[in-house]
Amino acid sequence: MKAFELIQPKTLDAALEALPGARDPRAGKVKLLAGGQDLLGELKEHLIDPDQLVNLKALPGLDRIELGADGALTIGALVTLSRIEGEAAVRERCTALAEAAGAVGSLQIRNLGTLGGNLCQRPRCWYYRHEQAVCIKKGGSECFAYGGLNKYNAILGGGPSYIVHPSDVAPALVALEAQAVIRGKRGERKLPLEEFFTLPSEGSVLRENVLSSEEILTQVVVPAPVGSGWRSTYLKFRERGSYDFALSAVALRVALDAEQKIRDARLVLGGVAPIPWRCEKVEKALVGRKIDAATCEFAAKLALDGAEPLEHNAYKIMLTQALITKALRKLAAS
Amino acid sequence: MGAGEFTGAAGANLVQDAPPRAAAPGKKWIKVVKVQNGLDTEVWEEVDDVAGPTWGPREALRLVNHDLPRVDGPDKVTGRAVYTHDVRLPGMAFAQVLRCPHPWAKIKKIDLEAAKQVPGVYGAVVLESEEVKWIGRPIAAVAADTPEHAEDGVRAILVEYYVQRHAVTPELSLAAGAPKISGNRENVRVHETEGDVAAVDAAFAQCAAVVEGEWRIPVQHHACLETHGVVVDYRGGDSATVYASTQGTFTIPGDAARKLGLNGAQVTAVVEHMGGGFGAKFGLGLEGDAACRLSKELGRPVHMLFDRATEFLAAGNRAGGVHYLKAGATKEGELFAFVGRVMRHGGVGQGSNQKQPYIYRPKHSFVEVKSVLTNTDSSRAMRAPGHPQMSFAMEGLLDDLSYAIGMDPLEFRVRNVPENRRATYERQLRQCAELIGWNKHPNRTAPDKSDAEVKVGIGFALATWGGGGGPECKVEVRIAADGSVEVLSGSQDLGTGTRTYLTAVVAEELGLEMSQVSAKIGRSTYGAANASGGSTTTASLAPAVKHAAWNARNAMFEHVSTLLGVPVANLRCTGGRIEDSTNPDSNWIAWKDACAALGTKGLSAQGEWQSHLAASGVGGAQAAKVQVDTLTGEIAVLHMVGVQDCGLVMNRMATRSQLNGGMIQALSYGLFEERVIDPDLGIVLNANLEDYKIAGCKEIGLVQSVLDDADTRGVIGMAEPAVVPGQSAIANAIMNACGARLREMPLTSDKLLMALRGMKRG
Repeated sequence: MKAFELIQPKTLDAALEALPGARDPRAGKVKLLAGGQDLLGELKEHLIDPDQLVNLKALPGLDRIELGADGALTIGALVTLSRIEGEAAVRERCTALAEAAGAVGSLQIRNLGTLGGNLCQRPRCWYYRHEQAVCIKKGGSECFAYGGLNKYNAILGGGPSYIVHPSDVAPALVALEAQAVIRGKRGERKLPLEEFFTLPSEGSVLRENVLSSEEILTQVVVPAPVGSGWRSTYLKFRERGSYDFALSAVALRVALDAEQKIRDARLVLGGVAPIPWRCEKVEKALVGRKIDAATCEFAAKLALDGAEPLEHNAYKIMLTQALITKALRKLAAS
Repeated sequence: MGAGEFTGAAGANLVQDAPPRAAAPGKKWIKVVKVQNGLDTEVWEEVDDVAGPTWGPREALRLVNHDLPRVDGPDKVTGRAVYTHDVRLPGMAFAQVLRCPHPWAKIKKIDLEAAKQVPGVYGAVVLESEEVKWIGRPIAAVAADTPEHAEDGVRAILVEYYVQRHAVTPELSLAAGAPKISGNRENVRVHETEGDVAAVDAAFAQCAAVVEGEWRIPVQHHACLETHGVVVDYRGGDSATVYASTQGTFTIPGDAARKLGLNGAQVTAVVEHMGGGFGAKFGLGLEGDAACRLSKELGRPVHMLFDRATEFLAAGNRAGGVHYLKAGATKEGELFAFVGRVMRHGGVGQGSNQKQPYIYRPKHSFVEVKSVLTNTDSSRAMRAPGHPQMSFAMEGLLDDLSYAIGMDPLEFRVRNVPENRRATYERQLRQCAELIGWNKHPNRTAPDKSDAEVKVGIGFALATWGGGGGPECKVEVRIAADGSVEVLSGSQDLGTGTRTYLTAVVAEELGLEMSQVSAKIGRSTYGAANASGGSTTTASLAPAVKHAAWNARNAMFEHVSTLLGVPVANLRCTGGRIEDSTNPDSNWIAWKDACAALGTKGLSAQGEWQSHLAASGVGGAQAAKVQVDTLTGEIAVLHMVGVQDCGLVMNRMATRSQLNGGMIQALSYGLFEERVIDPDLGIVLNANLEDYKIAGCKEIGLVQSVLDDADTRGVIGMAEPAVVPGQSAIANAIMNACGARLREMPLTSDKLLMALRGMKRG
């Protein structure tokens, strides 16, 4: 990796101060460092060559998980994935999040990787990760995966880039209606995590989210759901169980009424689109149905309506349908 | 038991059946296995026909053939063991290489000046100044005070290329108008054709069932944990030391000496510990060449170990290939007709030297072997070169055929293995069947056709290998006046436990505990030893160790005979003393006292290979039980069983461990491993340990390793057969579970899903 200057701020304001504005010539040459699990790979592969790294690890208060009086769970961006996985409050209230955090990488990665870093990590597409392939995500003109070896790429929401969003916790958090808290030099903004992520056709193709170069993602808030009968799960399919990114993943949260009918549902797919892919049509259609074989088949089919597989990833349609079925079955039985 | 037995159908390349001439008086001819770059070849060797030591009855062995914890285990798990990567010397420079970014390019100009100006850089050398014909070829190297500065230096090198049109995949290379990779000759070479097509076609007409298919095998990487490399310590003068991660201690000094301008005796190779070779680490290599030149130029030690990407791109691989096979059987289950057309993918090399039909012997066959060149790194020997590829196609074809005639594939195998090995294979197959639960398995003559979502299947496959040893090792045993014993051999240890069995063999012979003996290995100043290829190390080295220990014991007996006044013939070593076997309770001398009487000169004995202590030629059977989820395509290997013959086992624990390792490596090959190249960009997309997937602990089910004790021969190697059949058994188990025949490795969930839905993968 290229030599860089390490900036070690003690406060959030000092960290923000170190970040250049969009028109500053240093913009893009200063990067945030949290757990480093993605950043170090990017540096070593020379995908980025920043002059400065701003180490966030010393910032106070961002490594806490807090349960509010209203039942909302506030998780700091520096909380490690292994802590989220093991935290009782998360396991009880946000099962899908605990499962997703536990499905990230390997234990070593989860011990260092943070919530904020996981949400802001860059794509894993092997063209993007290859220094020589100057693809559209790196300022080139072409998505090499589109006409190339695209087994791991998007079947939904692709174009002009066909990356998939690599985060496991992102689909789970979107299914749990989480909010992102972002600090900038001029204050704080809060938005649904769903709106944090951007499709390559919407925002800049060079980025995967709305975070500007002057902002820091500081917290994620998972509100307490209204009513009872809530349950959630995250099912991730990996080629290699020991450590791997998802070929496909399903985050599902439902509320069942006394007759075991679905009162409310949120279904979000991972590993198949450039963003956590919400299936609103399915969510609406599930309301009032019991979870049985017919419902599973119906939901699985509807969720993948409109999927456009590339040359080597048509299997993702069947795989994702299978995972939706398994997630519904699991929540019906839990 | 002699070394000449059980060959012929073994994995080794065959020599003439008879020795070249009659044996001289006091000599005899034996067949031994010689290995060149990992490929084993049987040759006749004339050896002394004299009585030497014997291993003795197995039940009388106290250490050998038992479970022995590795003597260097604690050093390895605590990090005390020094691997080549770990060597640090005063003033040492770290070197890195520049790889050519183009698969095929002529080099117009390389300018090292900017690199030499980078802070910390000591120097740089050009490794290739004319033409590069394969992806990732190192063309220059830079040495600096830190690895980071060396990398900065590498990135500062300016190169101008004339980029050539390339053919990085077999498809591109076979296409009309493809560039010719090797001068004017065609990209495809026909290596051999054997048999009569018309006769085989006629034979097919007589078959009850005929099956065919095209098996596609990707390029696998050795993926050694320790990458290729050396530390060359030459600071001028007339001696140098080369620390090498190598499979052959003695493959280093000669080459290094030439590069350094010294003679071979002036260069010492050191291989204390090495982190895996699998056939890709013979000789000095590009990396050693670069390090020698830099060390000589700079007058300081140079640490030149490939980074992970270079390890993938420029350190060899297992050849891929496409095997079109067709076979027919009679309704009684005789493999009657066979056609095999093999296209090997060996990069700029020819691929591995094996052909179909693997192991099984059809009555009529036609075989064709070709290779196709591509602009990628040449394949190298890799653990059982050629065998796993042959096995994957042949064993799959065999199961398809047995199901086509409604026969249990296990019985079909027993029926069609070579006659001279049937008893061995049948014994091993039936033991696998018993342990994996085949006899209670419901679907033994046809795959499971039920609608169950989750299904379980079982598959089998066989291995064959030559192994065996040869007269290539010299071993010394030293006994000091303080009673300590050393055994010395220059041999390298690839991780199989050389130190441990050296210690055990000597301790056994001298009636001592293992803690009283220490083994020193991995240094070219010690006795010569063969390079570790073809599973020949133990069968070459252990007999020489035994001989040296036996000679040492005899010398001790001569010495003690006068001390105790007992004839040599009546002496024996046991329990840390030497005693009169006719009067052991009252006439004996403690080992230490006997040694003290040797005086400061101590005692030294030499040993050489003893043909009657070794043997060659092994089989081996493996079975796999897998679970498939037909909804997701998930494939889980629940259980693998391997039954392996290998003659007398030196260390049962280490041998089982090696069999485990072979099965796990085959599982990983079958389920995950594949080099992926973008044909247009000419880049390898997965030259890293994230996207080049290797099985981890969660992918490995129960692995059960069984040593076939019915084999009562002398020492034989078994590293290679262990890795041959696993992926084939897994593919057969998938077929048995759900009726989907996956003919392309790796056997991944996407392929299974598409096969189950009757769709061709894109």
